[in-house]
Amino acid sequence: MNPLIVIGPVVLLLLVLGFVTYAIYFERKIIGWMQSRVGPNQVGPFGLLQTVADVMKLWMKEDIIPQKADKFLFQLAPIVAFVPSFVVLAVIPFTDQIKFADLGVGLLYYLAVSSITILGMLIGGWSSNNKYSLLGGIRSTAQMISYEVPLILSVVGVILSTQTLNLTEIVNAQKNVWFIFPQFLGFIVFLIASLAELNRTPFDLPEAESEIVAGYHVEYTGFRFAFFMLTEYVYVFAMASLTTILFLGGWHAPFGLTFIPPIIWFLLKFSLIVFFLFWLRATFPRLRADQLMPFAWKVLVPLAIANVFLSVILKELPIIQAYY
Amino acid sequence: MFGLVKGLSVTLKNMTKPKVTYRYPDEPLKMPERFRGIQYFDPEKCIVCNQCVRICPTDCISLTGKKNPDPDQKGKVIDTFDINFEICILCDLCTEVCPTEAVVMTNNFELATYSRDNLYKDRQWLEENNTNVRQENTRHPLPKKRTGAKKG
Repeated sequence: MNPLIVIGPVVLLLLVLGFVTYAIYFERKIIGWMQSRVGPNQVGPFGLLQTVADVMKLWMKEDIIPQKADKFLFQLAPIVAFVPSFVVLAVIPFTDQIKFADLGVGLLYYLAVSSITILGMLIGGWSSNNKYSLLGGIRSTAQMISYEVPLILSVVGVILSTQTLNLTEIVNAQKNVWFIFPQFLGFIVFLIASLAELNRTPFDLPEAESEIVAGYHVEYTGFRFAFFMLTEYVYVFAMASLTTILFLGGWHAPFGLTFIPPIIWFLLKFSLIVFFLFWLRATFPRLRADQLMPFAWKVLVPLAIANVFLSVILKELPIIQAYY
Repeated sequence: MFGLVKGLSVTLKNMTKPKVTYRYPDEPLKMPERFRGIQYFDPEKCIVCNQCVRICPTDCISLTGKKNPDPDQKGKVIDTFDINFEICILCDLCTEVCPTEAVVMTNNFELATYSRDNLYKDRQWLEENNTNVRQENTRHPLPKKRTGAKKG
């Protein structure tokens, strides 16, 4: 057996954990700068160990399971939420060399497996045996299922033009033109829907303190709580990778700047998306709960369907069809 | 829709602007001119008039005087002078009432300590608290001591 099959995922897990640590650090730094503050600067040089200290704190906290909670499900929920977020990374091609599973239905796999996390949230909300966490869990579930529809519809345009669900082939189809240009409408819908899927501002209702006392994870403490947060940031990693692959040409260099290695290009585009997420968080207020569902069903879904029809029509036109 | 882009540009521009926060525990804070901080006490100037004790609204000052050791001089000199910072409200009345500017305010304010006993500051501690002394203190200072006789 090839030892890389075992070592590869372990290395990826460590890389992802490192990413999460410093994504949180830079998120706090960037939001600090945008609010004319300095951000964390006390723990370690330039505050670089701030997240490490925060994780240590969560590690040492008392692990509380409410007396009336469904103990088994309560312990299961963070795992059910976290595992899919890491498993979806298997199909992400970082470059044409660095990838784990080259599935023919990679995109479908990603979208299908990432839905399982919703189940983790619902289980967490239900098993806590707390009315607030149950309501929060139901609301989060409703939000994430609703926004999954425009998310999937918005990538149909990409699938139609590449005629494949394999992520490597989707990237290779963008060698000349990135899909952000011909599929601009799809990109916008994808970006907004992915924000809602990631539970990030302006769609961070599932974990907002000012909404029903923080939603589905009210009863969670210590490391189980940290697992829900970890899930969120691993999804940031996964979703930023997916956006890069689907719309920003993956590892392909723009303007023929091929002397820079492909992995660097991937990381640059990836960091741009992650920065954009932090930027949005520093700027926008939270969406109101009663505006949340109509926005998905009345705005994003019609737009995504319009994008599908537009792609189909443009694909039949002469000259322009070269881009689709 | 345009408002969203406008908001994003505001936050992006804010990133490079100078920060408004202070590096306080690392760098001392510069207090305004008339800040009311911990008192500085100058025993040389004190004439033991007891006015600061009488005006103090929280009764935090206590002092004792003794006879001037120099038999040629009249009056008393200060013996002990204590301020209890557990109850001192830094109201500035003692410095306003002091006719000789023996009690003046400084811009120092860091009194945090692990024991309440440490907040009982004596004459020596207050005399050593001689940094950042405030310039403008009493409203009615005594006229400068005249030297020699004055005609008319």
